[in-house]
Amino acid sequence: MSIHTTESAAAPTGGPALDDLLLHFEVQRFYTLEAHLLDQHRYADWLELLADDLHYWAPVRTNRLRRQQSLADGVPGEVAIFDETKDSLAWRIRRFDSGMAWAEDPPSRTRHLVTNVAVRPGDEDGTYIAESAFLVYRNRLEREVDLYAGGRTDLLRRAPDGSLKVVRRHILLDQNVLLAKNISTFL
Amino acid sequence: MSSLHRTPAPAVDVTEYFDIDNGLVDRGIFGDTALYQQELRRVFAPSWLFLAHTSQFRKPGDFFTTYMGEDPVIVTMGKDRRIRAFLNACRHRGMRVCRADAGAAKAFTCSYHGWAYDTSGKLINVPNREGYPESFDESRWGLREVARLDTYKGLIFATWNPDAPALTEALGGMTWYMDAMLDRDPEGTEVVGGVHKWVLEGNWKLAAEQFSSDWYHVNISHASALMVMSPTGKGPKAEIVQTPGRQYTDPNGHGAGFPTHPKSRFDDRVVHQYYDYGQLRERLGDGRVEGPMTTGHANVFPNFSYLPVNGSIRVWHPKGPDKMEVWAWTVVDKSMPDEVKNAQRLYNLRTFGPTGIFEQDDGENWSECQATAHGFMAGGMTLNYQMGIGMSAEDGVHPGTTGHLYSDGAARGFYSRWRDLMNTPAWHEKAADER
Repeated sequence: MSIHTTESAAAPTGGPALDDLLLHFEVQRFYTLEAHLLDQHRYADWLELLADDLHYWAPVRTNRLRRQQSLADGVPGEVAIFDETKDSLAWRIRRFDSGMAWAEDPPSRTRHLVTNVAVRPGDEDGTYIAESAFLVYRNRLEREVDLYAGGRTDLLRRAPDGSLKVVRRHILLDQNVLLAKNISTFL
Repeated sequence: MSSLHRTPAPAVDVTEYFDIDNGLVDRGIFGDTALYQQELRRVFAPSWLFLAHTSQFRKPGDFFTTYMGEDPVIVTMGKDRRIRAFLNACRHRGMRVCRADAGAAKAFTCSYHGWAYDTSGKLINVPNREGYPESFDESRWGLREVARLDTYKGLIFATWNPDAPALTEALGGMTWYMDAMLDRDPEGTEVVGGVHKWVLEGNWKLAAEQFSSDWYHVNISHASALMVMSPTGKGPKAEIVQTPGRQYTDPNGHGAGFPTHPKSRFDDRVVHQYYDYGQLRERLGDGRVEGPMTTGHANVFPNFSYLPVNGSIRVWHPKGPDKMEVWAWTVVDKSMPDEVKNAQRLYNLRTFGPTGIFEQDDGENWSECQATAHGFMAGGMTLNYQMGIGMSAEDGVHPGTTGHLYSDGAARGFYSRWRDLMNTPAWHEKAADER
C-alpha cells in the first residue's frame, strides 16, 4: 500500500463526525507524546511507538527545473537522510548509551513541534494515513541553532492492545543543502 | 582588458606558518580571510578538482551543477557525448544560467536577459540581437570552459589551469591506493542517485587533512560507533584499537591510511559476503586487499576524499575561511547485484553522511576546532603535527612512502603541497609573455 498520495488528507469532508474528532484527537495526542519522548532523549521509549515492520524514510530533495519537478524528491533506492528499519534505528540509538556519542554530549536541547495534523482511514482496517508538519528547533552548546522544518506522511496501525504504531513514515525536510552540521535527533 | 588577470593581489608568503620538518603548524591558516582568497587563486584554481562521476551522465544533455572552489560550474554531456564543464555564469551579467542541481537540458538559458548556451557552451541566442554593434561576435561569448577535463576510472576531474600536468600525473602514485575502491570490479563503479549536501562550520582543510592522515581520532571520536558495531556491543578488542596499518604520503599532497589487521574491516555484512576475496587478491594483489581495501580514509589533494568500505566519495567545498559544504555520493561496483548495491547504500548512509553514526561526531570536532581558532591566544597557537616523524619508509608492499597508520605524515605532506602552491604564482598571475 502506498502512502504517497496526491489527495490530501486535509481535504474538507463536510462537518466533522464525532468519530473524526476522536481519531484526530488521538493522533494529535500520539504525536505530542512522541515529541515529548524525543525532546527528553527517551529514545528507547520512542522506539516503542514504532511498528516492528517500520520503514522510516527521509529522501534528499533536489532543485529541478519545473518541467522535471517529478524528480525533485528522492525516490526509494537513492541517497537519503534516513532510510531505516526499526532495527537500524535501535542500532543508531544504542550509540547514545555508550557515553561517548560526542555530537550529543553534552546533549542538545530540542523542541519538536508537530502541527497541521490531518488524518484519514487507510486502505486496511485499523490503519490511518496521518499528515503533519514539523518544526524541530535544536539549540546546542553555547549558541548553535538549527531548524529542521518539513512534512511527514505516516501510515499508522492500531496494535492489538489498542495503541497506535507508526508503520511507515515519509519525511520531507524542506531543505536542499542541509543547513546543519548533522541531524542527531529524529524527525 | 583581461579581467581575471588584472594586477594580482599581493600574496602572503606562507612559509612562516609551517615548520614541516618539526611538525609545527600555525593555526592562522584556518581562519585568515586573505589566506583564504589566496587559496582560491593559488590552490583551487590551478589544481585538478573533482566534479562528478561519469555514471551521472548517460545521454546528451544530462547535466549536474557543482562548484570548483567557490566558482559555480555546470558539468554536462554534449551531443557528441563528450563531458564538458563550464563556469555557471552568464557572460552578459554573470548570473547562473542553470539553477537546477541536475537534470537534462538542450540549452541553458539565462533567466535574466535570455542569453542561451548549448551543451557545448556555445552562445546560441541573444534576444534583441540587433541592438549590438557589428563587432559583436557570439563565438567569443560562450560559457567559459575549464582548461582541461579528464576522468580516472569513473571520477571526473577538471582544472582551470592550462599548464596543469595530465590528471594521471597529478594523481601519481595515489592511483594504486584509489584502485582499492575504483578497480575491484572489471566493470568499474557507478554512483547511487542523489547527493548528500550539508554545511559545516569549519575551514575545508580541517576535513581534507583528516581524510588524508587521521586514523588517530577513530578510537576516541568514533568510540560510540565502534561500540555499536562491535560484535559484543562493548567496543572493539584491543588488537583492533591498536591495529597495525600504514599511511601513504604522496608528494602531490594526497594521503591515505588503512589498517592491515584482517579484523579491522568495518564493512557491511552483505557486501563482505558478496566479494570473492581470492579473485580480488588476483586482481589487486594481497597488499591492496589486506591494506587499503580493509577500511580506511583518503584525500586527493586538495578537497576530494573517499572511504573505500563505506562507499563514500565527497568534496569539501570551501565557503569562506570558516565554512565548508560537504557533498557526498555513494559509490558502488557496477556488477554488484541490486541487493548488494542497496546494502552498500544503506551502510553508507547509516555510518556516514549528516545522520551517520560516525560522521555526526566529525562535524562536532571541526566546528569546535574552528570556533577556538577565532580567539587571539588560541588562534595564534602552534599545533602539533609531530606524530610519526622519522618513521616513514618504503615498506616493499605499499608503493611510495608510508608510515605507521597512527601518524601525521600525510597531513605534513598535505601542508607541504599547500604551502608550495600558496607560495607559487599561478598561471593567471604570470605575465602574458610568460604564459
